[in-house]
Amino acid sequence: MAPKLPISCRAHLNPSFILPDAFLPLTAKRGVKYGWTTAPARSKPNRFNQQSAGLPELSMSPAAALKRKDFTLPLRTGALAVKKGMTALYDPETGKRTPCTVLQLDRVQVIANKTRKNHGYFAVQIGAGWKHPSVLTRPLLGQFSHAGVAPKRFVAEFRVKNAEGLLEVGQVIGPEWFIEGQFVDARANCLGKGFAGGMKRWNFKGQPASHGNSRNHRTMGSSGASQGSGSRVLPGKKMPGNMGGQRVTTQNVKVLRIDTEKGIVVLNGCIAGPDGCIVKLQDAIKKPWPVMPPPVEAVKEAAVTV
Amino acid sequence: MASITPTLRPLACSKSILRRIRQQNTAVRSMMTTTYHRTGFVPPPPIPGAPHVLRKLKAIAPLPSAANKIKDPVKAFQDDQISVLDPTGARTHLFSRKNPESAKQGDILLVRLKNGDPFAGVCINIRRQGIDTGILLRNQLTRVGVEMWYKIYSPNVEGIEVVQRAGKRARRERLTYMRKPKHDRGSVQNIVLQYQRTRGPASGSTAVKVQEGLKGGRRKSKKGRK
Repeated sequence: MAPKLPISCRAHLNPSFILPDAFLPLTAKRGVKYGWTTAPARSKPNRFNQQSAGLPELSMSPAAALKRKDFTLPLRTGALAVKKGMTALYDPETGKRTPCTVLQLDRVQVIANKTRKNHGYFAVQIGAGWKHPSVLTRPLLGQFSHAGVAPKRFVAEFRVKNAEGLLEVGQVIGPEWFIEGQFVDARANCLGKGFAGGMKRWNFKGQPASHGNSRNHRTMGSSGASQGSGSRVLPGKKMPGNMGGQRVTTQNVKVLRIDTEKGIVVLNGCIAGPDGCIVKLQDAIKKPWPVMPPPVEAVKEAAVTV
Repeated sequence: MASITPTLRPLACSKSILRRIRQQNTAVRSMMTTTYHRTGFVPPPPIPGAPHVLRKLKAIAPLPSAANKIKDPVKAFQDDQISVLDPTGARTHLFSRKNPESAKQGDILLVRLKNGDPFAGVCINIRRQGIDTGILLRNQLTRVGVEMWYKIYSPNVEGIEVVQRAGKRARRERLTYMRKPKHDRGSVQNIVLQYQRTRGPASGSTAVKVQEGLKGGRRKSKKGRK
């Protein structure tokens, strides 16, 4: 516990005597011996750099960072889906065959919202699947019960541009969230290749199969120059090692079919990841934002009134 | 409360005093007995001597899911397509394993297309992949071996007929040995022409016709091939 000043000493200082925060030295706020506090954080020095005083906008600030992302952040959230496999789609009129990937949405719900005020950015936290409560920790269970949803197996955040993209906690997102013909970005962990050699990992050319080559057909060969290059192997030298299992984004994938009954979204072509992997689908940032059709009820009401 | 210490003269400037006061305040706050709850839930005051019991978290049942009902959406999606592309089920029946009259490897098949010349050949492979089920037909056109794959559910395929059944059941599924000169059947053109002559206006029992659009299939094949 911090040593206490005697009351007489404390009484010397008038409570109205308050130094500006900028004058005060920086002290550790989160160390265990200093305890924690629910008081708001000390005011930032930003209050001295106001545009109204004639100073330019700071380019290294949270506000500037969010403004930079204005063009690339989607307006609305995405969904989590499980890649079920690939098949083909035949057009009955033209006879054209289009390979496609089938993804299934399973109990996708909004768990939480991230706001600029509390977290510094806007995002929607989405959960999918179901996990038995007995295999979850109490903190996680508490988070799900606070949201009013059953425990989810997969949880991921989808960043959105502003507060308009945030959804109600507990809202279910189905395949109808996407429109047939729109473009999406599909993000998933690609297939893992394990410990891969140089030829597979870095497209090394290997060495001749014959002509006296002795047990070095697929080896790296040289790993760099000698004394002239520092008498060492330079950092970052391409070498065999672990390959795959990383997140890969496939951009501008067209949505071919939506089936709410089966809960599936059919995408054109192939996406990263094995069958059964979890995929993040969100509106493609390099295509115009999709325009959602007006809800059917509104159209019916309009028809009735007319 | 701390024991009363002798009065100390404040050291140096008021900075150090304020720092120490701030530290004391945080320490005092950590000793607070009342807590503020964001959710508004106020737990009951603890009974002295009673064991601490964790409050029960609300258990919420999972929603019904389409993923649980339809465990194989790929097959379901393919079945939907097959019902559109093959409404009568004739194509499925022609290659069904349960059908004793089905087309098998070793048979000579004739494929009529919507766009293009019909192709006939010995079926040396049937690749079953749901909607992507395909057959590999081998023929010799002017002494050049030609193999063609055809998707049986493709809208471009108008119809598939069995021209001649294999005399003896092939002892393997893939007849790629037929690529060797010893086992190569050669050109099946003569067999196909004979079949088309004998077929005539009446539908033969061996020929399984597909009902979608049979127009001039016979006449097309009479064109001389180069």
